[in-house]
Amino acid sequence: MRRAADRLFRVATGACAVAACAVLVGIVGTILWKGLPALDWDLLTAAAGETFGTGGLAYQILGTLLLVATAFAVATPLAVGLALAQASYFVRRSARERVRLLVQTLNGVPSVVLGILGFVVLVRYFAWGKSWLAGGLVLGVMIAPTMTVALAERVEALPRRYLDAARGLGLTRGQTVRSVVLPQTRSGLVSGALLGLARAAGETAPLLFTAAVFSGATIPGGIRESPVLALPYHVFVLAQDTADAAARAHLWAAAFVLLAIVLGLALAALPLRLRSSEEARHG
Amino acid sequence: MADAAEQVLAPDARRGARTDARSASDTSVVRRAAGETVIELSDVRVEARERVLLDGVDLAVRRGEVLTLIGPSGAGKSTLLKVMNRMVELESPPLRVTGSVRLGGCLDGRLDGRSIYEPGVDADDLRRSIGILFQQPVLFPASIRDNVLFGALHHERLSRPARRERLEKALREAALWDEVHHRLDEPAANLSVGQQQRLCLARALAVEPGILLMDEPTSALDRSAAAAIEALIGRLAEERAVVVVTHDLDQARRIADRIACVCVEDGRGHVGEVVRRGDPFFDRLCRDTVIATSRDERPRPARSDESEEQTG
Repeated sequence: MRRAADRLFRVATGACAVAACAVLVGIVGTILWKGLPALDWDLLTAAAGETFGTGGLAYQILGTLLLVATAFAVATPLAVGLALAQASYFVRRSARERVRLLVQTLNGVPSVVLGILGFVVLVRYFAWGKSWLAGGLVLGVMIAPTMTVALAERVEALPRRYLDAARGLGLTRGQTVRSVVLPQTRSGLVSGALLGLARAAGETAPLLFTAAVFSGATIPGGIRESPVLALPYHVFVLAQDTADAAARAHLWAAAFVLLAIVLGLALAALPLRLRSSEEARHG
Repeated sequence: MADAAEQVLAPDARRGARTDARSASDTSVVRRAAGETVIELSDVRVEARERVLLDGVDLAVRRGEVLTLIGPSGAGKSTLLKVMNRMVELESPPLRVTGSVRLGGCLDGRLDGRSIYEPGVDADDLRRSIGILFQQPVLFPASIRDNVLFGALHHERLSRPARRERLEKALREAALWDEVHHRLDEPAANLSVGQQQRLCLARALAVEPGILLMDEPTSALDRSAAAAIEALIGRLAEERAVVVVTHDLDQARRIADRIACVCVEDGRGHVGEVVRRGDPFFDRLCRDTVIATSRDERPRPARSDESEEQTG
């Protein structure tokens, strides 16, 4: 009976894993199948054409990378601060729980709400207009909780003996955080950043209100009234007019590039993640 | 301060700080002359929330001596050790310490006469001058060189030659230089467990502490690695005070100048007895596996047949 239950459980979990992988393979396969034929060097390097759904994706790619980089720059200090407050600095349990609640709540805020908030505060109140910085800030705030959770988990899982060894040598709490906690929890930060950036790279709603336009933007020269083109917004607009075959091909090619950027981010961080987990195992 | 120390030492010890040769079974290390008192605990009480862990602890540690703390599990030996460098405050929730813990001749005399638990005393500065070695070796994921200099470089700006000098001195003191000098940039994790523990010792020594605390430093090591650490302890105490927590009574007998029994009474730990090497009671105590649970009760010597079994 017990063996039968074990086998049933194994089959059920295996089926769940296969189903999840099948969905992923289906999505990636479809994007590859439909996007690859439309992809060529010109599409990656040329500017958008005069007419709808023509030309290249160069400025969409640049705009997306700029937004993602800004989001990363904004989210990293926020996430590090929140994670350390939650898992390291606050001694009182109640204070830790409050920060944890704040992070979880922030994680649950729909991206469109953050977009509207960015629109009200940055676009209207500060009169930035549509700006890459406004978009990056909103995306940064949006992904900070994901990064915080991943980092805080690593900080909390860091064996106590490391902290004791450092404090026993007379290091202050700040020195211990800088020299022991952060270097040894880098993988958590990278994992969180990847999850967050992948999400940020694909977000449309906040950009709709704060940063992205469909055409007419190139490389931003300032902050105010400096919108950018962005792949997710491009895909969103093209997807609303799929009757045009040229636009459809362009749409799939843009989706493919977006997927490649997310995959590229994951691959770029892979050596660091592997090294960090190796160090944690042997440390 | 010295008077208080003598009071702690019970009648046998008041005869003064003699230098004794080791007992017949231990002739490898010549005893050192104990110097001035460097830590003095008076009526120390440690509480965790409502529970009293240690109560009424009076104890003095002198430069140039090895003091071992022995006692049953849970008596509070490790807690007592961490009281001496305020690491009890890092527990979660922090333990509450009352009474006084005074240092002598440490931190350039800045704390002379003051309790380390007084407001205004920098606990990090204090821990810098009181090194600690834990039960398990704790290495940072870095090279041998970086591990040894880890603490020192956080406290001092050292030139390249000064770093090399400090590194070599610490590794030599920890008897590890000959084994690692040709591979200082290798990951410290490549060392054996015994070498790792000596590396941790070198790391503590590189900060140049005046007092060294060791919390069961050999319990995770095999016999030969433990013997290497034991041999070092005596040498380390020539220039500083060393306090060692151990469960191993044989080890206590081999390394200690004085042994303090941490006993439990009514659920509270206290220092029940402090005996000095040379005291007839010293060897008897070490052969006895029954550690007194009462302040007034000296451990009874075991019967000869029992002692054979226990020590053999």
